[in-house]
Amino acid sequence: MFSYCKNCVMPNTKPDLHFDESGICDACRSAELKEQINWEDREKEFRVVIDKYRCLDGSRYDCIIPVSGGKDSTYQTYVAKKIYGLNPLCVCFAPTYPTELGKKNLRNLHHSLGVDVVEFFKNERVYKTMGLEGFRRVGDHEWPNHLGIFTTPIHFAVNFRIPLLIWGENSQLEYGGPAMARQKPVLDRRWLEEFGGLLGNRTDDMIGVNGITPEDLKPYTYPTDERLAEVGVTGVFLGYFFKWDARKQLEIIKQHGFSVKENGPIEGTYTNYENLDDGLVSIHDYMKYVKFGFGRATDHACLDIRNKRLSRNEGMELVRKHDGKLSYEIVEKFCSFYEISKREFFSIVDSFTNKAIFMCDDDGNVIRDVEGQLIKRPECLIQEITTE
Amino acid sequence: MVAVIDYHMGNTRSVVKTLKAIGYDAILTNSPDELRSASHLILPGVGAFKDGMDNLHALGLPPLLDELVVKGGRPLLAICIGLQLLADEGMEHGGPHKGLGWIPGRVERFSVDEGKYKIPHVGWNNITVTRDNQLFQWIHSPSTDFYFVHSYHLKAVHSEHVIATCDYGETFTAAVQKDNIMATQFHPEKSQRNGVQVLRNFLEIS
Amino acid sequence: MLKTRVIPCLLLKDNRLIKTIQFGEYRNIGSYIAAVKVFNARDVDELVFLDMSASLEGRDPLYHLISDVARECFMPLAVGGGVQTLDHIARLLGVGADKVVLNTSALDHPEFITQGAGRYGAQCIVVSIDVKKTDRGYEVYRDHGKNPTGLDPITWAKEAESRGAGEIFLTSIDQDGMMKGYDIGLTKSVAEAVSIPVIASGGAGDLNHFVEVIRDGRADAVAAASIFQYTQYTPQDIKQHLIKSGIPARL
Repeated sequence: MFSYCKNCVMPNTKPDLHFDESGICDACRSAELKEQINWEDREKEFRVVIDKYRCLDGSRYDCIIPVSGGKDSTYQTYVAKKIYGLNPLCVCFAPTYPTELGKKNLRNLHHSLGVDVVEFFKNERVYKTMGLEGFRRVGDHEWPNHLGIFTTPIHFAVNFRIPLLIWGENSQLEYGGPAMARQKPVLDRRWLEEFGGLLGNRTDDMIGVNGITPEDLKPYTYPTDERLAEVGVTGVFLGYFFKWDARKQLEIIKQHGFSVKENGPIEGTYTNYENLDDGLVSIHDYMKYVKFGFGRATDHACLDIRNKRLSRNEGMELVRKHDGKLSYEIVEKFCSFYEISKREFFSIVDSFTNKAIFMCDDDGNVIRDVEGQLIKRPECLIQEITTE
Repeated sequence: MVAVIDYHMGNTRSVVKTLKAIGYDAILTNSPDELRSASHLILPGVGAFKDGMDNLHALGLPPLLDELVVKGGRPLLAICIGLQLLADEGMEHGGPHKGLGWIPGRVERFSVDEGKYKIPHVGWNNITVTRDNQLFQWIHSPSTDFYFVHSYHLKAVHSEHVIATCDYGETFTAAVQKDNIMATQFHPEKSQRNGVQVLRNFLEIS
Repeated sequence: MLKTRVIPCLLLKDNRLIKTIQFGEYRNIGSYIAAVKVFNARDVDELVFLDMSASLEGRDPLYHLISDVARECFMPLAVGGGVQTLDHIARLLGVGADKVVLNTSALDHPEFITQGAGRYGAQCIVVSIDVKKTDRGYEVYRDHGKNPTGLDPITWAKEAESRGAGEIFLTSIDQDGMMKGYDIGLTKSVAEAVSIPVIASGGAGDLNHFVEVIRDGRADAVAAASIFQYTQYTPQDIKQHLIKSGIPARL
């Protein structure tokens, strides 16, 4: 049965999100936990970690920071460089559809923050093939991106012999996940398989698709356990050591050259500081909406509610207004980029659309309103919590 | 247009769906007009021999199919129980029961050590093509696996009708052909790439 | 030569794809359509799709949902959950399922197995048996592992066979989701007691588990779920390992 968290506005369809007997989701419970964590102790733990890996003679980088040019990785870089005096190598797996704003923010890393940045431009033919296949097969064209942003920095770690990787938020802690995963400081291969957004599809599954060979998949293949052990590769979540608050962090990095979208919010949400680097990522968010009934606006509203910036009712209004709105302009861009027809696009979208959440006609076909948007079934609409 | 004969025997929709997915115009029907206007006929089926024959008779199909296929030369592909119904008789469930009699032979249960070879014969097994034919074009070793699920098989009288065999404790008929009448014991609509190739090969026959 | 089938198993609850551990701790793991498409692209041998809610809530199978799933499958599809009447079987086969999986309905009315096999053929009827280890030995459980039946799995499997079942889908509740291996003893005892194929389910976590349950447990086919969700192994990896270990499998 479809229901919403009583504290935030996340529905119970979200994978790996558990609701307790009071109807509160575990992301909200984690947020409460965040208040109880001794962050001073955690900060001390962080110092121990970085001191262990810091290269004292300056002969190599202290750590790798996977970056996208987005706010989180900019913040991670800022913390590493400006606060802890580390010398990071930032590794960027280029986004699917780079935006001017994204490029500007990436440039900001090596201009203003003063760090070395490697931007990995992957074989576009292979990447695009996997993106389209990801869209067709698991309803996510960013599939190769989820893989690449994790594996490419690891390859650099192994090949440049830089054992420490500093990732950002622990998404299980921020957005909900199994108890064990929420308190995990480390990102390893099992984390990637389980939580990395691979949706059951694996790198090897792409062999043979439009001529993709095992060699083509080298950047997307996780190094062997032996290679990892040889270098002693370990990845930690900054969000384990520091209390994660996206808005607070945003204000800090804006002081250091980070730019936000000036002319209104991003598609599908009410914020203007996320998803800036990739012009097609809103389709990935839209696919989440069609599968599970919640989109980016829900994600952002939940974070703001948990960080006490919005009340639940305010969050609800924002969700009602912005969530899951498909921009047909982006659809055009998407279809043109992947060279598919709009017909195929919608046929794939419809195949993933959860018909228990969205309205269909008598033949079981998904229906859209006059603006071309999906219509939630009445029992799936978010309601105010009435106190009895 | 391909007509998949609807005589209420099992998973007929899979066949139609697979044909449509590979780009063919297919309908599920038992209407004489529609069967007459089809270029190719498919007799699918999952179930028991006697029920299959009873259902065909109840719909008045044997004379019509005789007219279209045996006399009229329309290409027919029979699948699984469909193959078995082409025989003279079937021994299942208190047989012998009379079949269509188009491919001389009798349908019998596997005669194997059932401790070693579990019945039904379920799963992917490889075939051996025993006579060159169009149905198995592009199917070659090492990938000759098809999906089987049956407890009975056809013992054909004339070996020249047998175009492929399979081994499961004994060698049995995997496919037959007599002029325009073809049949497979396995399910091409469930046999992924190989199955799709067999269906395509059949539909290329004019 | 007949190849040993490696069969991914998808479990649905409240329209969500879930994973369980020992038939409890439900984890919602995402879109079932994506999972079906991935397995179809992987050219798997067969797929088992079980709707837990249908049986627990005693409602009809979700034909639209099964139809959507069947549309994406070009391999055999076995569907279970709430299959209680011949009409249910007819409609499920009608929307594209190739086999139906009976659990509770078979326990409540064993004659239903005979009716189903009689009308649609034994090859369409798979009887699913869930087993827990208790101090009294192995016992068949019902209602998704909640209630004991007092039956021992060998006796029940033999009865299902005599009633006309085409295959047995045998799940060890204790091993489910633990990824520590199948219950070899349980599988062997049932596989040797019946002459219909037995599909082992519950416990696969690494490649060797499959070899063990086939070679030592005498399983005719193997089902798995967690390994595909939580590890890098694909059905191809498993089958290649089987072949290396001398067990025929289809690549």
